[in-house]
Amino acid sequence: METSAKGEGVGKVEKVEFDASEIEYVSYGGEHHLPLIMNLVDQELSEPYSIFTYRYFVYLWPQLSFLAFHEGKCVGTVVCKMGEHRSTFRGYIAMLVVIKPYRGRGIATELVSRSIKVMMESGCEEVTLEAEVTNKGALALYGRLGFIRAKRLFHYYLNGVDAFRLKLLFPQPELHPSLPMMVDKDDSHKHGDHRHSVE
Amino acid sequence: MAHKPTDEEAFGVAVPGRTSIPSGDNSVWADVSPLLHGACQDLQEGELIHGDNFNLFAAMSALEIMDPKMDSGIVCRYYSLEEAIENGAAPVPVSVDKTTDIRCIIDIMDHLLACEATWHKGHSLAQTVYSCLYLLQPDRTSSHALLHSYCRVTRATCKAVLSVVSDARTHEEEDLFTMAYGLPLSVDGDEKCLSMLNAVEETISRQLRACKSSSKRRVLEVAAIEPLQSDPDQEGYCKALLCRLRFRKHLYHLLMSIRRPQGRGLELARKHIASCISEFDCILKSSEFLRASAQGMCEQNIEDTTASGCQAIGFDASLNCRSSAPTPPRSIKILSWKKAVQYFVKLLQDLDIICAYSLDPSLEAALNFVIKFQKSQPDLVARSHLQLLLVQDGKLYGRIPMFALITRAAGLPEVTKDHDIQKNEFMVQLEQLVMNLLKILCTNVAWQRRKLGKMLQDWRVIHVQLELAFKKEFGEASKPSYDELCFKIFQQILMWVEEQTYWIAHRFLILGFELELYSVHDYCMVYWYIYTVLIKLAEKTHLRIVMNTGTAKKKGKKKKDSFKDAGRDYQMPGAVLFLQSQIYLAEGLCMMFSALKNEHVIAAPQSPFNTEHEIFIQQFELLRKACLPDNISYRSFKESTMHANFSNLVMCDYFKEAQKIAKDAKSCFANDPDKMSELRRVEQVAEHNSVALNLICRIGAIDRSLKVSFEFSHHPVFATAIVKRS
Repeated sequence: METSAKGEGVGKVEKVEFDASEIEYVSYGGEHHLPLIMNLVDQELSEPYSIFTYRYFVYLWPQLSFLAFHEGKCVGTVVCKMGEHRSTFRGYIAMLVVIKPYRGRGIATELVSRSIKVMMESGCEEVTLEAEVTNKGALALYGRLGFIRAKRLFHYYLNGVDAFRLKLLFPQPELHPSLPMMVDKDDSHKHGDHRHSVE
Repeated sequence: MAHKPTDEEAFGVAVPGRTSIPSGDNSVWADVSPLLHGACQDLQEGELIHGDNFNLFAAMSALEIMDPKMDSGIVCRYYSLEEAIENGAAPVPVSVDKTTDIRCIIDIMDHLLACEATWHKGHSLAQTVYSCLYLLQPDRTSSHALLHSYCRVTRATCKAVLSVVSDARTHEEEDLFTMAYGLPLSVDGDEKCLSMLNAVEETISRQLRACKSSSKRRVLEVAAIEPLQSDPDQEGYCKALLCRLRFRKHLYHLLMSIRRPQGRGLELARKHIASCISEFDCILKSSEFLRASAQGMCEQNIEDTTASGCQAIGFDASLNCRSSAPTPPRSIKILSWKKAVQYFVKLLQDLDIICAYSLDPSLEAALNFVIKFQKSQPDLVARSHLQLLLVQDGKLYGRIPMFALITRAAGLPEVTKDHDIQKNEFMVQLEQLVMNLLKILCTNVAWQRRKLGKMLQDWRVIHVQLELAFKKEFGEASKPSYDELCFKIFQQILMWVEEQTYWIAHRFLILGFELELYSVHDYCMVYWYIYTVLIKLAEKTHLRIVMNTGTAKKKGKKKKDSFKDAGRDYQMPGAVLFLQSQIYLAEGLCMMFSALKNEHVIAAPQSPFNTEHEIFIQQFELLRKACLPDNISYRSFKESTMHANFSNLVMCDYFKEAQKIAKDAKSCFANDPDKMSELRRVEQVAEHNSVALNLICRIGAIDRSLKVSFEFSHHPVFATAIVKRS
């Protein structure tokens, strides 16, 4: 899906002065949060989503959705899911939004990191998402978190723009032996004996 | 929600009239209306009942009625095509005034062209070409020869283009393109579009001749020709019409001849391409006249989809949203007329390149041709044509059997191409792989890379299988029926398969640059991987060349480094030198990045969630699954790069070496302009980086404010270092 959190290059937008400690991060808490999320996403992202899409995410994985508040105003949100995908258990970041005046201050990074942490603790082996190839801010953000651009998706969005599929692979115990530089196991065959269930 | 009613009473009474359908054992019919009604009372707007089968796809497919971003059924102007026509949205003739009629028809022609280009660029037919109401009701135009013939040829052209793209099966690209459900694409009589077009063209050219002579001789009346327009601009309009009709005619001819089997129509196709391009010149020139005569006559065309600048009559993209034709719930932007002309000129040029190519190339030449062709970024239609021409009936151009192509590529003598060994099931599979490779190379680069990556395993598997078959056949040396030719075929094809596999692996890696899949922090490992793959490729290429010329020792187990230095004592073949120059360049870049990282000039990102090791695993997953090369690991990457620093890097200048070899290699490719320009680029990058490296190594150790950035100005794959002191 999408991310709208370009860090730099938003010169025209008036920035809000605030201290990082004034931002409050809240896990999705129920119906009263839904309109806040929908408003933010509707404003900032290009794809149209029906209310069912939002409900699909926040009802099934409320623990993966977070909101950021500043002085009672919702300024950012992240919506995710996780599940089996071709024999791996993977997390998926569906939407990430921070409104323009609040960008470039690490709110998006904090939001998405919280989701990724829950995914990791829940036993996900990897996390994926799609981002527009032109969304440099988002690409940089995810790059810093260890995502790679796994593939390019031709004309992915309805507006005809290509997307990157980004992927973050979590370390797996057998890849990090206690002795440094020990024999590198052939990790290409190890998927399958490493599964967690979190339903 | 599978309830088994055991108590009939609890579910009400069976509905009368439905009893004809048996309810089955242990069950009865029940009226669920009260239950549903009760459930509805509990449901608020926007809520939904979630069943297990309600997945993300279902959620994403749901539409919110009256949300303009989603609801494509919102009435814009008309409920139906009939209503639009009744309201005069597409009159026939467009105007009772002849001149106005012609002027409007030219606008329709131009806007249709813009729609067609927009369709080719990846939008749906329903939202582009078939936004034309005249096309949607084919019979309505029959009284108007000019409009009717133009509509017919446009439909026939769309049908031809659509069949090329769907036959080529370009997968994800085609899904919007080929959706034509519910649209009148195959209309009786459209196959006769050319004769109709010819007749109309004839009438108009007579008209043109008449008005030319009338202006000369002042003869006012020419018998038997009803004047199309009634004013002195007649000549201008005639010319504008003629070039548009002729363009259509040649385009249609071109599409027919290019698809003739075995490339037999390519020469003719080229003639039509030339004609199309020259008609385009006239079309472009007509713009000036059309703009001048349209001044103040029409509604301004904001999108500029016509030569005259007027809004074309008879188009409504929103109508199809409400009909059966599948349309994404989005309004789209039609290309401007100028952009559409540019698109078609590029399409014609691309098709000309395809038609001009040899019909009897070697496999290597064919592969390189496709790659070179792709560099000019051809669009879907041109790529589909190339694909269909290259692979026909399991043969290259429908002429050269795949097995013959393979034996030639493997350097086997001509007699082997009919050998019975081609009936071996693994040889048949190999032929299939070669065909798939050719097809994949014709697809868009994003899709292509994914397919190539997945294909690597198939090539690996076929190699193993052929090897097993080979061993089975020749395992016991004392076999009485020892067939020397068969042995040679197996041996050389096996070698060639390995070489080709590394060729694909290399292409897979370098396409990552074109697709911008690598970040600066990945470059070090990517160049290292390219370097290891290129070494293998050069090794296999060398072995093949040596085997073919039969000059060197047969069992050459070479270590990588001894192989790299082998150029010292004997003259390496050009193909190997070519690869060697790239090997040194890749190694040099890898080492430069390692040193910059080890000396902390470039800071590696510190992810809280994973390490470089996981990045390595992900980046090269497909290559490692296919064991390309064998025994490669993150550890081997780390070991070869961890010691690189400023002081030891100056000692061995890989860039100087790359430059030197590229220079030597150039003498082997005097007649190959593509290889020459590639070698020149390698030389340039090597030269720049050699200078940059020296600077970094001298100053870097003392001056910590050194800034090093990279750009791809000289080569799309090999980066050039830019050094700055901040």
